[in-house]
Amino acid sequence: MPPVINPKKCVACGKCALICCMDVFGPTEPKTVPLVRYPEECWHCRACVMDCPTGAIEMRYPLTHTLLFRDAPGTLKKEGM
Amino acid sequence: MLELQKEIRSCDVLVVGGGIAGLMAAIAAAEGGAKVIVAEKAHSLRSGDGVGGNDHFICYIPQVHGSLEDFMKEFKASQSGKFSDDCIQRVFAQRSFEIVQDWLKWGIDMKPHGDWTFLGHAFPGRMRIHLKYDGKNQKAVLTREAQKRGVVIENKTPITEFLTDDSGKIVGALGVDVSKETPSLKLFRAKSVVTATGSVNRLYPGIVPGAMFNVPGCPANTGLGMTAAYRAGASIVNIEMAGASAGPKYFARAGKGTWIGVLRTSDGKSVGPFVTQPTKELGDITSDVWPTVFTEKARDGSGPVYMDCSGISQEDYEYMLWAFTCEGDTSLVEAMEQQGIDLRRHMVEFGGYGATQLDRGVQIDEHGATDVPGLFAAGDEVGNFGGHVAGAATMGRIAGESAARYAKAAEENNYPVEQHPVVAERLTFYSSLMERENGSNWKELNLTVQQLMEEYAGINHVRSGTMLSAGYKYLGDLRERALNEVACANSHELMRALESFELLEAGRLICLAALERKETRANHKRSDYPFTNPLLNDMFVMVKQVDGKPTVSWRHSR
Repeated sequence: MPPVINPKKCVACGKCALICCMDVFGPTEPKTVPLVRYPEECWHCRACVMDCPTGAIEMRYPLTHTLLFRDAPGTLKKEGM
Repeated sequence: MLELQKEIRSCDVLVVGGGIAGLMAAIAAAEGGAKVIVAEKAHSLRSGDGVGGNDHFICYIPQVHGSLEDFMKEFKASQSGKFSDDCIQRVFAQRSFEIVQDWLKWGIDMKPHGDWTFLGHAFPGRMRIHLKYDGKNQKAVLTREAQKRGVVIENKTPITEFLTDDSGKIVGALGVDVSKETPSLKLFRAKSVVTATGSVNRLYPGIVPGAMFNVPGCPANTGLGMTAAYRAGASIVNIEMAGASAGPKYFARAGKGTWIGVLRTSDGKSVGPFVTQPTKELGDITSDVWPTVFTEKARDGSGPVYMDCSGISQEDYEYMLWAFTCEGDTSLVEAMEQQGIDLRRHMVEFGGYGATQLDRGVQIDEHGATDVPGLFAAGDEVGNFGGHVAGAATMGRIAGESAARYAKAAEENNYPVEQHPVVAERLTFYSSLMERENGSNWKELNLTVQQLMEEYAGINHVRSGTMLSAGYKYLGDLRERALNEVACANSHELMRALESFELLEAGRLICLAALERKETRANHKRSDYPFTNPLLNDMFVMVKQVDGKPTVSWRHSR
C-alpha cells in the first residue's frame, strides 16, 4: 500500500498523481484526494512524498521489500560478544 | 472503437521518452532550430531511471585524467564499458565534460565538493572516472531547460509505434493518451524521431517474484521504443548478452557504488580482493566485477553475502547517507530507518536481481542514428553503447543534434499519418482489448512472459539450443492466446497490457539472438557450447526485420 495520503493535510492539488512514474493513482478527479488505485505497482521512488506541497504523503514499505540484516561481526568483537 | 484524436501534432523532431536522454535530445534539437515535441509515458518531472537523482557521472576531463587513451582504458574496464562500439565511446568521452559544465550552469550540483571530484566505482590505485555529483533535481532542471527552449512536452503519452513511409523513412508516430480513464490514440507527424525509452524491465522475474515492480530500474520502462524501432526496420544488437544487477535484498535499488563498505560472508571474510578499509574515495568494487557473486554463493551454500559498512568513519557514514539522497535512494534510507537498521553496526544482505537488458537494444552510429532514415536513439535503450546517466545525457544531446540536422535537410512532411495502415490496425487491436469482457488481466501475460524468459532464456539456468527454441515457440503460442484473451478496463490497464505484449516481443528477439551465439560468454551460458569462442571476440549479434521476418546476422565491433 505504498503512498498513504493523509486526507486532513491533502489540498487535492493532484500533483502526486500527475508526476507518479508508475501511474499508481490513475487519472484523478479534480478537487478530490487522489486514490491509490494500483499500490502494488509502486516503485517506491518517493517522488510523491518529496513533491507534495503540504507533506501529506507517507510511504509504507511492503513486506515484499523487507531488508535482510544482521549484526556486523566487527561490531560483535568490539562489544566483546 | 477507441477514439483517434483528430488533432495531429506536427513537429520536426519527436522525442520519445522524457528521461535524461530524451530531455537532453529535446534541448539539443531545439537549440538546433527544430520544432520539438517530447512524448512521455508518465511526467518528465519525475520519470525513468533518473527520477530521484543519480550521483555518479562518467566524465573525461583532460586536466584531471590526462590522455584520452588512459581514460578509455579505464572506461572499458568499468561495468559500463562492455559490448560497446569504440567509436561511440570516444565521441561520448570527448563530449562528456561539456555536458557536465552545462548541467552545472543550469543548476544541477556537479561540484558538491567545490571542485571536480571523482569517487566510487573505482579500483585501488587506478584512475577514477566517475564524477561525484548531486543529481536530485536533475529531472526538474532538464524539464525547465527544455521548456525554456520552446519544447512541448506531452505527458501521459506512451508511444507505441513509429510510422514510416513506403521508402522506409520516418514520418511520424502513434501514441496512447492515458491521462483519462478511457484511452484515446494520438498521432504525431514528425520528420525525425529520437527514441529514448530506457531499458527493458519487467522481462525477467525480480528478486521477489510475487512483487513484479520490486526491480532496480524504473518498472515503467519496458522497451516500447526498442520493439517499435525493430518493427520500423532498425537493427537490435547485443540483446542476448544479459547483464546481472545486484544490491540490497529484498529492496531492489540501483546504486551499489554509493555504498561505502566491504562485501563479506557472515563469518566476516571479505569475498573480493579489492579493499579492506573502505572509504568514500574507495568502496568495494567486487559487485561491479562479479555481480553474480551473491547468487553463486547462495547456491553453493557459502553465502549469504553482506554489505558491511560498520568499519567506516563517522564522517564517511554521514557522507554515504547524503550520497544516497543524491542518487535518489531516499526510500532505501527511509526503509532502513523504519526497520531499525543502523549501518554503523548492522550489515545488510545483498542479492542478485537477475537478468537485466540495460544497454542492450537499438543499434546506433556515433551520431545516434539507427538504420532507419530519420530514426535516432539514445540512453539505456541503445545496444552498442552504455554509460548510464552520463551516456544518456551525452548521447542524448548528440542524437538530438543529429535529428535536428536531419529534419532541417529533409523535405516537407505531408504524409497523411491518419491513413497509415499501422494506425488502423493498431486502433482495431487496442479497441479489441478494451471491448473484451471477462478476459485475462495484463498481469497474467506479464507474469507468464517472465516465467518463460527465466526458465528458457534466463541467466539463472543454463541456456541451450533446445531450451531457447522451445522458449521462442512458447512465447509465440502465448502471444496467440493473449491476443485473443487479454482484456483491459481502462487506460492504465491498456498501457500495462501493451507493455506486456512488447515484453513478449523483446523476449522472442532475445531467444533468437541467444540461439545464434553458439558459445558461452559472460552471463550467456550455453550448455551445448560451454566454451568461449575466440573467433567471436568483439563480435555482435544483430536482429533486424526483413520482409516481415526476424533475421539474425553478425558484425565486428567498431
